[in-house]
Amino acid sequence: MAEVFRAVINVISIIAIPLILILFLGWGVAKKVRVYEVFVEGAKDGFNTAVRIIPYLVAMLVAIGIFRASGAMDVLATLVAPLTNFIGMPADALPMAFMRPLSGSGSLGIMTELMNVHGPDSFIGVLASTMYGSTETTFYVLALYFGSVNIKNTRHALPAGLIADVTGMLAAVFICRILFGI
Amino acid sequence: MLNYIWILLVVIGILVAAGTDLNDEIKNTYRNGVPLEVAVEITKYPAELRATWEGDIVLSRENFHSFYEVQLSDSSIRQPVSITTASSGESVVTLTPNNSTPKLWRDMANNASAKGKLSGSVQSIRFSEDRTSAIAQIVFEPIRFVKLKAVTQAALDYAQIAVEIALGLIGIMAMWLGVMKVAEEAGLIKILTTLLRPLSKRLFPDVPHDHPAIGSIIMNLSANMLGLSNAATPFGLKAMEELNKLNPKLGTATNVMCTFLVINTSGLVLIPATAIAVRAAAGSANPGIIIGTSIFGAGCATIAGLVAVKLLEKLPRYKKELQPEAPAQDKEARNG
Repeated sequence: MAEVFRAVINVISIIAIPLILILFLGWGVAKKVRVYEVFVEGAKDGFNTAVRIIPYLVAMLVAIGIFRASGAMDVLATLVAPLTNFIGMPADALPMAFMRPLSGSGSLGIMTELMNVHGPDSFIGVLASTMYGSTETTFYVLALYFGSVNIKNTRHALPAGLIADVTGMLAAVFICRILFGI
Repeated sequence: MLNYIWILLVVIGILVAAGTDLNDEIKNTYRNGVPLEVAVEITKYPAELRATWEGDIVLSRENFHSFYEVQLSDSSIRQPVSITTASSGESVVTLTPNNSTPKLWRDMANNASAKGKLSGSVQSIRFSEDRTSAIAQIVFEPIRFVKLKAVTQAALDYAQIAVEIALGLIGIMAMWLGVMKVAEEAGLIKILTTLLRPLSKRLFPDVPHDHPAIGSIIMNLSANMLGLSNAATPFGLKAMEELNKLNPKLGTATNVMCTFLVINTSGLVLIPATAIAVRAAAGSANPGIIIGTSIFGAGCATIAGLVAVKLLEKLPRYKKELQPEAPAQDKEARNG
């Protein structure tokens, strides 16, 4: 069942982009749009959007980089460990929970490390990969998306995003304990 | 809130780094100035008085532990070094770390004056009679401020990475914006938005039902679900741009923008391709086993995020931020 689902989704992911391209551009031709000219007209904005994002991304990534390099993650994990032990979350997986919303490459590194140490099919290995799949890099997405339209006051987006992250992490622990529990 | 978290990340990072360095200094983690006694097995003999010669320094796990108070997994350490004796009679030992080097020494080498090479002075050396081995007292160069140096390096590196990421977006941004423009002119986006009206009406009540933003949002969400992040980002940024056209107060996020962002940060993906690839590379018997659990986790995250965003937008403090700024003199009058 899971295998069939995976195969189907894989095929869809591969054909999606060619399909969109042919459908959108073909539709344009059918509606007598001057496709080349209009395409170029639209594409012009690509550069501006990318350049607009730079200050926001620099601000966000520098702060995250400092935090990561300082080893503050381990200090934080030690502080919170008693609380998370209580809900059955292994201490080894804690840095993963903190890193996931902050840095994609950072959490990828932690996940790989945990799998190499504990094995990919161990409880911690499965939990770490589930956690990785259970949320996105909130801070990066926030800086990127809001930066592209010069939004400085992000209002309740960050608290809501962090609530989603915490829920995702807890849900990952919950489902992994039920299915592959110790 | 972003202001506080941002400054917290920076301040906590620097404080923890400074604290760790201070702790290293007090405990002398790197044993600055303390001589370490090692056995040297000579492979290339000193031919002349000032020659550079080579050998392996050998140290047992127990001795390493009693000196540095660090546990090792290997039973003993054997590291190739080169020793150069200057005309003044002083000898300098240089250790170039490899994969079997203890982590502590590798860290020290990375923070040494010659990056990647740990050097030290030989305090005394006693050769055996056949000159194939020797006992040496080595003092490695002092290592200080490891974390503060790392923090500085990270700040510079990440500023660079941020620009690279942004500039890397130019190409795919341009491509998808072009395609979207064609679809828009052809009226395809309009058809898409009409089809998805029942869904968009609930999620984004503030957006007019035939607004082009809905088309981009849907494209973004579908691309995200399929794990096509290269396409999802341009669609998402395009959606933000369209939503910003409805924004009465530029520079401040609207409710719709926050809702859209939270759906994106929850990261619901049908196939978590990266995690599966890492599992497969690590030799998992069943890499795809996490598909179901990830969908569950991200599903819960999405639902919680949506509930949170809809509840939080009703709070007075967030509602207030949406109102147009009061004129300047009004503000001053109130402050005074």
